[in-house]
Amino acid sequence: MPALACYALSAALFMFDRSSGRTRATGYAVAILGAGAIFHALDLTARGLQAGNIPVANFPQALSFLAWLTALAGLLLIVRLRLAVIGAFVAPAVTLALGAASLTTSSGHLVLPETLRSVWLPIHVTLAILGYSMFVLAASVSIVYLAFESRLKSKRAIGPVNEGAPSLEKLDRINYHLLGWGFAMLSLAIVSGAIWADATWGHFWSWDPKESWSLVIWILYAGLLESRLTVGWRGRRAAALTIVLLGVLVGSFVGVNLIFPGKHGGSFG
Amino acid sequence: MDQTLFIVGINHRSAAVALRERLAFAEDDIVAALGRLRESSPAVAEAALISTCNRVEVVGVATDAARAAEETLKFLATDRSVAQDEFADATYSFAGRDAARHLFRVGASLDSMVVGEPQILGQLKLSYAQAAEAHSVGLILHRAFHKAFSVAKRVRKGTLIGHGSVSISTAAVALAGQIFDTLKDKTVMLMGAGKMAELTARQLNALGIESLLITSRTFDRAVALARDLGGTAVPYDNYKPYLKIVDVLIGSVSSTRPILGPDEFESVVRERRYRPMFLIDMGVPRNFDVRLNALQNVYLYDIDDLGALVQRSLGDREREAEKAEQIVELELESFLKWLAGLDLTPTIKDIRYSVERLRDDELGRARGWMAQLGPAERERVELLTRGLTNKLLHRILSGLKQRGDKTLDAAFAAEVARRLLGAEFDAQDDHDAFDDAGDDGDDDADAD
Repeated sequence: MPALACYALSAALFMFDRSSGRTRATGYAVAILGAGAIFHALDLTARGLQAGNIPVANFPQALSFLAWLTALAGLLLIVRLRLAVIGAFVAPAVTLALGAASLTTSSGHLVLPETLRSVWLPIHVTLAILGYSMFVLAASVSIVYLAFESRLKSKRAIGPVNEGAPSLEKLDRINYHLLGWGFAMLSLAIVSGAIWADATWGHFWSWDPKESWSLVIWILYAGLLESRLTVGWRGRRAAALTIVLLGVLVGSFVGVNLIFPGKHGGSFG
Repeated sequence: MDQTLFIVGINHRSAAVALRERLAFAEDDIVAALGRLRESSPAVAEAALISTCNRVEVVGVATDAARAAEETLKFLATDRSVAQDEFADATYSFAGRDAARHLFRVGASLDSMVVGEPQILGQLKLSYAQAAEAHSVGLILHRAFHKAFSVAKRVRKGTLIGHGSVSISTAAVALAGQIFDTLKDKTVMLMGAGKMAELTARQLNALGIESLLITSRTFDRAVALARDLGGTAVPYDNYKPYLKIVDVLIGSVSSTRPILGPDEFESVVRERRYRPMFLIDMGVPRNFDVRLNALQNVYLYDIDDLGALVQRSLGDREREAEKAEQIVELELESFLKWLAGLDLTPTIKDIRYSVERLRDDELGRARGWMAQLGPAERERVELLTRGLTNKLLHRILSGLKQRGDKTLDAAFAAEVARRLLGAEFDAQDDHDAFDDAGDDGDDDADAD
C-alpha cells in the first residue's frame, strides 16, 4: 500500500540524514511523510465508510489509526516547531506500526458488534489513541534529548550536526507539553469510556484488563508529571522515564489486546 | 583586445599589520583613490580596491598586466607615501588565471586569516560597489566580481567551511545556544577578572539576557564593569546565595583550589529544581571542581574543553576548504572560458577564412569562362575580386574592433558577424559568453 511505502521511504531518508550528519534529504523526507499521511487518510476513510464508523473494529485497525495520528502530530511538530531531528524516530515508528497492522489485518468485512455502535466509540477511541500518539512523540523527543545531552556532557558538542539543532531546553519543554497533552487525552478517554460503559452496561468500571492497565498507565504518567512539578525532575531523568513509560504502554497495548482479550481486546483497540 | 585580470596586493600572510596599516585606504577615500589610480596608471583599464584589516589589493584589468602591476605599485607608493622598496617584497601580483583564482579564493574566504569567516564577502561587495561608483568597472571586472560572489555562495552552500566556532568565547556562546532555547530569561554571572571571561560575558550580554551579575575580589572592579555592561555588582564574599538564580556561570577567579565543589553545588542544583546550568571555567588553575559536570543538568566546560572544540572546528574547516578549492577551480574554468570568448582573434580568423573561401569558390565556378580570357585579363579579375573581399573584410573587422573597445557587445557583435558570414564555430562556447554577459552572477549559484 502506498502509505506504508511512503512512510518507509521517509524513514529511510530521515535516518540517512541522521547518520550522515547532513540535512540534505530532510525536506524530501518531510514531504514524503506528508504524502504517506494523505494516502493513509484515504485508506482509513475507505475503511471507515465500510464500517460505518471510525475504523477501529480490531487491533490492527487501531494500530493503523495510531500510526496515522502519530504521523500527523509528528508532522505538525516537525514543521511548526522545526523539529526535523525527531523524524528519524517518528517515521520508523509509524512505519513499524502500520507495517505490523498490515501484516495482521484480515481483509474480511468487519462489522462492529451492535453494542459498540455508538457516538461514544469515535470519541473514546480517538481520545485514547491521540493520547498514545502524544506519548510516542514524547518518547521520540526524549531519545533525541538523551543523544544531544550525552554529546554535551561528554564535550563532543559543537559539530556541524548540532548547528541549527534544537536546544536541550526546547526539547525538554516540548517533551513536557506532549506528556501534558497525552495525559489530558488519556484522562478524557478514561472518563468517556466510563460514561459509555455506564450507558451500555450500566456500570462505569468493570476491571477488565484494558481498564486496569489504562489506570496503571494513567497513574505512571501522572507520577512523571508530578515529579517535574514538585521536585523539578526534568532533562535527562524526565527523558529516560518518558521512554521507559512508553515501553510499558506499548507492552500493555499489545499485551492486553492480544493476550487478554476482554471486552476491549477482542473487538477493538 | 586580449585584456586580462591582474591583482597587486599585500595580505596578512605577506606583511605584518604595521605595514598593512600604512598602505590601507579609508573607506570613504576609496572612490577618489580609484580615480587617482586610473589617472596615474594608463595601463590600467578597469580597477577595484579592496582594503580591509587583513589585505590591501588592487584588482584590475589591463592588456599589459605586467605594466599595469608596475604602475599600480608606483601608485600605492606615492598615494600612501610609503617608499616602494619598503613594501615591494611584501606584495604579490597575479595575472590572468592566477589573478582570477586569487579573487575567487578571497571571496570564498579561503585566503582569510580565519578560513571561512563570513565578513570578507561583504567587504568584497563593498569594493565592487565603490569601484562601480568610481566608474572603473568594465565588462571583465563586473563579470569577475560577480563570479567571485557566486563562487562564495556556492562554497557556503556546498561546504561546511563557515561552521563551528573558531574562538574560545564564540564556542562558549554557541554551547549556551545548544543548552538553552533562549537567553532572554537567563541570568549570567561573571566571576573574576579574566579577559576571556569578560569577553564571553560581553558576547552573551550583547545577545540579550535577563540580567548580568558580576563579582570580583576587587569590588570596585566589579562595580566598574557592571556599570560598563549594565549589570549588577555582587560582593565576592556573598555571591553564593545568587547561584540558584544563575543559569550561566563564568569563572575566572585566581585561586589555587577550586572555589566550588560538588557537595555544596548539589544543593544549589536541587534548589533551582534541576534547571539546566552552564558552567564556563576560564580560570587557570580551574575554578570549578570537574565533578560538577556529573550533576543533573549541569554542563561544565573548562578552557581546554573549549579549546578542543575550537581546534576541531578549525580542523573541520581545513577539510572543507579542500572541497572549496575544487569549487573555485571549476568556476575558474568557466570564467576563463568566458574571458577567452571575448578575444576577437579567433573570430577575425574565422571571418577572414570564410570570406576568402567565398572568393575561391566563386573563382572556381568561373573557371570555365575565365579560361577564354588572356592572362592579363585573368590577372585583373583576380585583383578585382581580391580588392572587393579586402574592402568588405576591412569594413567588418574595423567595425568589430571598434565595438570591441567598447567591450560590452563585443562577444555579441562577433557572433553576429560570424553567423552572417556562415563562419565556422570553433571550439569556443560562445553561447556562454552572451547568455551570461549581462547577468548578475547570482544565477550561477541558484542554477545548481
